[in-house]
Amino acid sequence: MDEALYDRLIVTRARKPLHAAPLANPDVSGEGKNPLCGDRTRLDIRLDGPHIAQISHHTRGCAICAATADLMAERLAGCSIEQADALSHRFSALLRDGADRPRTQAGLPELGALQALAPVRAHKARIRCAELPWIALKEALSHVRN
Amino acid sequence: MTAMTTTPPHTGGFDLAAIRAQFPILSETVHGRPLVFLDSAASAQKPEAVISAMAETMRHQYANIHRGLHWMSERTTEAYENARDLIAGFLNAPSRNEIIFTRNSTEAINLVAHSFGSMLKPGQAVLISEMEHHANLIPWQMLRDRAGIELRVAPITDAGDIDLPALEALLADGKVALVAITHMSNVLGTITPARQIADMAHAAGALVLFDGSQAVVHHRTDVQALGADFYTFTGHKLYGPTGIGVLWARQALLEDMPPFLGGGDMISTVTFEKATWAHVPHKFEAGTPAIVEAIGLGAAVSWVDAIGFEAIAAHEQALTTHALARLAEVPGLVVTGNPACRGGVVSFTMADVHPHDIATLLDRNGIAVRAGHHCAEPLMRRLGLSATARASFGIYTSKDEIDTLADTLVRIRDFFV
Repeated sequence: MDEALYDRLIVTRARKPLHAAPLANPDVSGEGKNPLCGDRTRLDIRLDGPHIAQISHHTRGCAICAATADLMAERLAGCSIEQADALSHRFSALLRDGADRPRTQAGLPELGALQALAPVRAHKARIRCAELPWIALKEALSHVRN
Repeated sequence: MTAMTTTPPHTGGFDLAAIRAQFPILSETVHGRPLVFLDSAASAQKPEAVISAMAETMRHQYANIHRGLHWMSERTTEAYENARDLIAGFLNAPSRNEIIFTRNSTEAINLVAHSFGSMLKPGQAVLISEMEHHANLIPWQMLRDRAGIELRVAPITDAGDIDLPALEALLADGKVALVAITHMSNVLGTITPARQIADMAHAAGALVLFDGSQAVVHHRTDVQALGADFYTFTGHKLYGPTGIGVLWARQALLEDMPPFLGGGDMISTVTFEKATWAHVPHKFEAGTPAIVEAIGLGAAVSWVDAIGFEAIAAHEQALTTHALARLAEVPGLVVTGNPACRGGVVSFTMADVHPHDIATLLDRNGIAVRAGHHCAEPLMRRLGLSATARASFGIYTSKDEIDTLADTLVRIRDFFV
């Protein structure tokens, strides 16, 4: 099997997500839908002042999408909105540009376990799968700004 | 399901190795493995006969058609019109004038929706089914919104067949002007009982259109025996090129229908005040058509006819039986639908493995399948699914390739569970 794309962490988190339990009374929510395949991620976020306290996701999608949602929820807990934006850009650069670029990435927070998604870059048709949770995040955080 | 050893032999007069040798692409490798191409329902590969017919046209005998007064134009016109003759024979059309070249089946259906559709009035209805490809749904939705007609949808059974009593009930009030139904589902593989549907439609005063995009590939199509009024198909699924499709319709209908697109080649006389239309089929072929592609489709039709649909259908039926048996052995795999009559298309889902992950992992093993909603979102919703994986078979598919698919699916399942 393709160990390069499907890191064991991706398979594990897709099968047994750690951040998928329903979140009571979220402060903001957002949804990402991929009309090409019908996959969908819904995020519920609880805020603590200017910080993200907790994220829960409900994902109906492939392993790439589901694992990204779970690892994203984990990574963003405790982050400020600005840090979440920065991580979103950094993740996008990981998929679209392939590697961290010191010149543009200097000072940005580390992706941590989300680095496991790096091989998705070689599978152009699957990049949208990994981006879906971030689209949901963007929608959710737009409600904070409003 | 029966085991593979009980599937009937199908090699009488059908030399699979010789057929495969005519498809240059089948000797390619993907990710270092031999290509196993199980995505023919999306688009089929091309035999040397088609490739060389098109290349030879462009190399030796090409010019614009119909109005040229020079040798090259006359020869190219002959080749283009010869393709029309070949396709008329392929469909057993009563007249070559009933063959309209379009870009694809989608454009052929849009032609009917615009042209025939413009003659419909509010209060009339078009009846489709739950298993339609978007190509045979969206043009009718657009017509409904444009013309104020009603769009009715005949249900399917849980097995994936058209619910014929329900279809007949939807025809009962006599308001349906056209029944537009697939002749073979691109998701379920269901071959629909076209003749029966045509008889029901006609008894209720409706005309009938069959979307033959999948069906023409797998068995002989006789538009007269089917009782069809309109029949559409696309070239690229029939081992021909992209960019060329066919609308067949009864000549009287075509003569009554207004043109679809206006432009060169479709006129008789033109002044600044008005124009009169060319006779069919040219009335419906505005502008320079896909000349090389039509010639390529003619070559494809000749090539398929030379092999013969009896042998093709037997080969593909054996493959489908074998595939259903082998896929039944894959833990957690569920084949979508169980229609009464199935062509060489098998959709499936696997517990705990998303269709996209299946497709990606199969691809890493050189196996091409399709995953998603297959341009049939309402059908997916009816089935309670968001996506399936789909393996589809062509004239060149082998049992070994299906075995490779099944064995790899077992390994994928083991990887994920």
